[in-house]
Amino acid sequence: MKMTSAQGSDDPVLQWVTFRLDNETYGINVMQVQEVLRYTEIAPVPGAPSYVLGIINLRGNVVTVIDTRQRFGLDTAPVSDNTRIVIIEADRQVVGILVDSVAEVVYLRQSEIETAPNVGNDESAKFIQGVCNKNNELLILVELDKMMSEEEWAELESI
Amino acid sequence: MSRTVLKESRSQQTLQSYLDALLQDAVIGLTESVSQDEFQAAVLEEQQRDVQRVVPLRQPEPVQARTVVAPVVAPVALEPQPQPLLELPPELAQRPVAAPVEPVAELLPQGQTPVGPPAQLSGQPEWGEEPFECLLFDVAGLTLAVPLVSLGSIYPLAGQELTPLFGQPSWFLGILPSQAGNLKVLDTARWVMAERYRDDYREGLQYVISVQGYEWGLAVHQVSRSIRLDPKEVKWRSQRTQRPWLAGTVIDHMCALVDVAALAELIASGATRHLKGVPS
Repeated sequence: MKMTSAQGSDDPVLQWVTFRLDNETYGINVMQVQEVLRYTEIAPVPGAPSYVLGIINLRGNVVTVIDTRQRFGLDTAPVSDNTRIVIIEADRQVVGILVDSVAEVVYLRQSEIETAPNVGNDESAKFIQGVCNKNNELLILVELDKMMSEEEWAELESI
Repeated sequence: MSRTVLKESRSQQTLQSYLDALLQDAVIGLTESVSQDEFQAAVLEEQQRDVQRVVPLRQPEPVQARTVVAPVVAPVALEPQPQPLLELPPELAQRPVAAPVEPVAELLPQGQTPVGPPAQLSGQPEWGEEPFECLLFDVAGLTLAVPLVSLGSIYPLAGQELTPLFGQPSWFLGILPSQAGNLKVLDTARWVMAERYRDDYREGLQYVISVQGYEWGLAVHQVSRSIRLDPKEVKWRSQRTQRPWLAGTVIDHMCALVDVAALAELIASGATRHLKGVPS
């Protein structure tokens, strides 16, 4: 059962699903997460953009899986027992993102979130929503809707 | 030639050519390979030229410096004579990676409040109008001087890990959790020696020096000592169109004087994205 963020508060508590990529911990808004799947075989799609790993069959529905490492500018890594596919809803589409592992759901107050530096021209920096110190660890909070451009989201729909 | 001597002569040549490149903007006809005497002669020539040329200083725009409340750990007494600035307590090297790093030294001069000086992107800055204290530190073999009034604390990088953020420029090393908050760390070498930067310069970074009033820190290889400078000992840059963070050259010490507040202001304001000559 998903809990909603605190209503009527000036400093709402937000829930974030955290996952690991390349030894860093990232967080995404729990409201955008539909489910988390164990790694399953991903069927490549010929002619798909480089950031698309392929498609999976999710209870009769075709879901496109995105290469999160490529989106984040990280090197590729082998699949392990902890690898997961997080099914999310972004830009009115349901897609999967491949991550090294899924950690936990954390509760963060809006005031605890610091804005990330905005000093580069790289488009990929724009979907870092902020950073937060939690449990002696720095969480990088990601805004999934901005993970891709409008053109890229449109391209995903046609796969 | 022994390796040490070879290394020293190479670093001297590097420093020489670097400082010569700085002066080429103002000194016409100064070639890159200039001997020590020619360098000093060029500096004197430029000083005379500056006396004849009246350049109105641009009024600094008021800057809202963000106050960073730093815990007082161990105030450092600034000595006029060269002395080692700090000694690392051995236990600092064994701190857990995840714990916020504590500063090994506070660089607030006595009587100073923890608010950085306003950034000024041209002419002689306010802190340079009277004798001022400077911290010397080493970046990839290059000695730089920074006014003490612009600095906050020194944080050791031993046993610490910076959290990188994707999509950031190459000079952004990552975030260092500290007692004063999350410190954004920049690769100083990429800024001050962009044209001769090597990837291995990222190795051996030992300290992060925070900029007073900003959430930014400079990653450096070594921290040396503090010195006291008279404004006359500095060849000030009257125009800072390029490299606005470079305030001038300390003649006697043959090192560049960095206006870190100007650099932090550039970065914090987002102006670096549109500035020419910024390392990408």
